[in-house]
Amino acid sequence: MAVKDKLKTDLFPTIWCPGCGIGLIMQQLATVMDDLGLDKLNTVLITGIGCTGRMGAYMNFESVYTLHGRTLPVAEAIKMVRPELNVIVVSGDGDTASIGGNHLLHSIRRNPNITVICNNNEIYGLTGGQTGPTTPQGTNTISSPAGATYSPINLQGLVNTNPNSYYAKTTVYHQGPMRKAIKEAIEWPGFAFVDVASQCIENNGRRIGFSSANDMLQSYRTEYKAAPPGSTHLEPHQTGIVKGQVPAAAVPDTGPAGAAPDNGKN
Amino acid sequence: MTKRLVQGNEAVLLGAIKAGATYFAGYPISPSSEILAQASVYAASHPEFRFLQEEDEIASANAILGGSLAGAKSFTATSGPGFSLMQEAIGYGHKVGIPCVIINVMRVGPGTGMPTMPGQGDLNQTRYGSTGDYTSIVFYPSTVAECYEYTIHAFNAAEESRSPVIILSDAFLGHLNEVADLDTIDVPVIPRTLEPLAKGSTRLFSGVATYADGEPATADADEYIRQYHESRDHRLKVAEKYAFHEYGWNKDAETLVIAFGITRRVAQPLAPHFALFRPIRIWPTLDKELTEVAARYKKIIVIEGSDGQYANVVERMLLRRVERVPLLGGRMSLEAIREGLDAIGMLPAESEPSGSPATAGSHRVG
Repeated sequence: MAVKDKLKTDLFPTIWCPGCGIGLIMQQLATVMDDLGLDKLNTVLITGIGCTGRMGAYMNFESVYTLHGRTLPVAEAIKMVRPELNVIVVSGDGDTASIGGNHLLHSIRRNPNITVICNNNEIYGLTGGQTGPTTPQGTNTISSPAGATYSPINLQGLVNTNPNSYYAKTTVYHQGPMRKAIKEAIEWPGFAFVDVASQCIENNGRRIGFSSANDMLQSYRTEYKAAPPGSTHLEPHQTGIVKGQVPAAAVPDTGPAGAAPDNGKN
Repeated sequence: MTKRLVQGNEAVLLGAIKAGATYFAGYPISPSSEILAQASVYAASHPEFRFLQEEDEIASANAILGGSLAGAKSFTATSGPGFSLMQEAIGYGHKVGIPCVIINVMRVGPGTGMPTMPGQGDLNQTRYGSTGDYTSIVFYPSTVAECYEYTIHAFNAAEESRSPVIILSDAFLGHLNEVADLDTIDVPVIPRTLEPLAKGSTRLFSGVATYADGEPATADADEYIRQYHESRDHRLKVAEKYAFHEYGWNKDAETLVIAFGITRRVAQPLAPHFALFRPIRIWPTLDKELTEVAARYKKIIVIEGSDGQYANVVERMLLRRVERVPLLGGRMSLEAIREGLDAIGMLPAESEPSGSPATAGSHRVG
């Protein structure tokens, strides 16, 4: 198999704007899927509403394009009914952390063995550039002309309220670390969240002073620094991985009945 | 073959299990909570039956969509306010074509309303609650045994129609205990109709209008109309097989009473004075059956636990005036019915004070 086989390339070019970061995530996800042997018989994709949600349409997998904010209840149900499947959620920050925030809170608590990849562009892009839950305070958006009023949501802090969870922060510039994070997240035997800073040039970047998508990409290179090895907490603009303890129930041979230690991910 | 006391809510759960349901997601809300609680008890000893108490009804409704796509016959149970929260997901289920069953044990609304007095005010919500045009199939039983029976039918109709099917109940019926022998109720079970996820296809299940290949069809009226007509026509055709209703009481009377669910039970002592038409399939409406029956009667009275939701439907269907006896605020009583009949000058002079055996000639279809 090849990476290309993970994609419905006959539907290309994608619907995404030129310069959008989502394709960079899809490319790395497809690469990891190929590395791990994920295919249409062992993996399903769950996506939400927003530009990111279109990713399911472009990949050679069964895919559920859910209602706005509802990826996690759908994903958890699928995992519960079919524990042998790899369940991968791909969605944006608004879908995941705002309208889907209550589900996020409780999925983190329940710690299902699913992977969430969050295209975090700090804006509601599809609707034209309104303030989102991740928009930095003070950012000029079309719904905050005087600057976003409130601090962004702390996704790392939320995810890490469960000591068994996995949280990674990366960017679309950092392709290698992003690939590693996605791979580890899929292999993680519990709730895993990959928070990917990603540019929306058309409905955010230009307004806040970037002249091109490449400018935004380069800003990730200069602004984000890898956290020191062994960090248990990432500072703002640090990339890295914060892993919890592997939940006991997921350790092979010692799990209770009904747990799915052999999840086909390896 | 055991007769025993069964509660309405329990009968619904047993019907779901009989129908082959293996996934329940729900959130506690009176007067439906026994279904959740008893589903959890059942799941504890049946590992093939998956159960999740969700964070809210939005999660519950979306979860049963996911559970169904994954391959499990899936259901949830709630009451009015929770049912309101489920509406978007119900519309999604209609759009995408996902079989599942939602039980709505009605109380008095709107808002938090009157927990937990019985109401029948969610009829319109079961038909028009979500955005856009769609074709709902809804059943409303009247007895504990029927709660079991029509829940099995609801799962069957969901499979055949590929849509969320609603079972209506109410606080009165859900908490009613009746002697029933559920083993004598034999409804053939229709197996799954939707290929489970990850069996070799690469389908896109999308709430967004798309073409068959997954590309957006969000500005193509012709494609929208084609898809809409296809699903509507299919669901109406399926519904024809489930045209459940009851016609009886004193068929020679001049006036036809229309009552359904628990209200039909409460109205039973009126049997000597009126004919009865009871829709069990609430949606789609029983146009052919009711039009035929109604033509034989000078007057029609709709007795219901809302301010005319079904009476309005009947007036529009028959294009003739119907009298209304709304039972509001949870007053599902014979006294309230008598007051309502008196208010419209239709209280029978020699109305018997209590139960009458005059049900000879009544027949139920379905």
